[in-house]
Amino acid sequence: MLADAASEVLETMFFTEVLGPALGGEAEPEPRRDVRVAFAGTPSGALTLSVSGPAARTLAGNFLAPEQDDSLPPAQLDGVVCELANMICGSLLSRVETECRFRLSIPELAPANASHAFAPPCQSLDLGEGTIHLWLELDSHAN
Amino acid sequence: MAFRVLIVDDSSVMRAFIRRIILLSGMDGAEFMEASDGQEALGVLRNEWVDVVLTDINMPTMDGEQLVRSLAADELLKSVPVVIVSTDGTESRMHQMLALGARGYVKKPFLPETLRAELERVLGETYA
Repeated sequence: MLADAASEVLETMFFTEVLGPALGGEAEPEPRRDVRVAFAGTPSGALTLSVSGPAARTLAGNFLAPEQDDSLPPAQLDGVVCELANMICGSLLSRVETECRFRLSIPELAPANASHAFAPPCQSLDLGEGTIHLWLELDSHAN
Repeated sequence: MAFRVLIVDDSSVMRAFIRRIILLSGMDGAEFMEASDGQEALGVLRNEWVDVVLTDINMPTMDGEQLVRSLAADELLKSVPVVIVSTDGTESRMHQMLALGARGYVKKPFLPETLRAELERVLGETYA
């Protein structure tokens, strides 16, 4: 379900096809961008997204269509990654609707490569030009 | 047809994306204004003519739900049509926002034609 939600958002809003699961192990010459979106409801938890540098630039270019891709400042790359996390989280929660309403927090950027401290990701997606890793945490008291 | 759109979202990249999609969709005559939360949107609406408001729900300071409630309670502004553009696609949330007075609801992610169709529907109702 998480991969479906991510693929829907990437293809619909970012005009980016998911090629399949990322195999991992690739050398990464630049830091990843990590974003966390907490949600409250039934269940509560958080979605963490880690986007490789090349993937962030591709996604931001597709989303904003600037005159030149390399003209996008880091703040815009961060904003696009935050919006991606927000939409994937919303799309996921909409698929598991319960009687309780969910509330999403404002996406928060984590320090560079903070996701490396996590367990292996729930999903890793290959976008061709880079990868996305996703972690879904559910609060332990969730029903 | 010329029309003025107020885009309300705390994400500047999302505001830019919505602007781009409306322009790409071929709707002629769109003029854009922006606000980063409901409070700022109310300020714009009290000073400028706006044909339609596109607003997110989840925003700091004043969220989209509070904005819709404020507009519904304001004699001068209650006729301004509001379309929600939100990641919250749950049925309960959509029904709640429409019951509060929103005229349309577009769930993110959305196709460009979906946003265009909703804008045309709402603007059509206004100017029919």
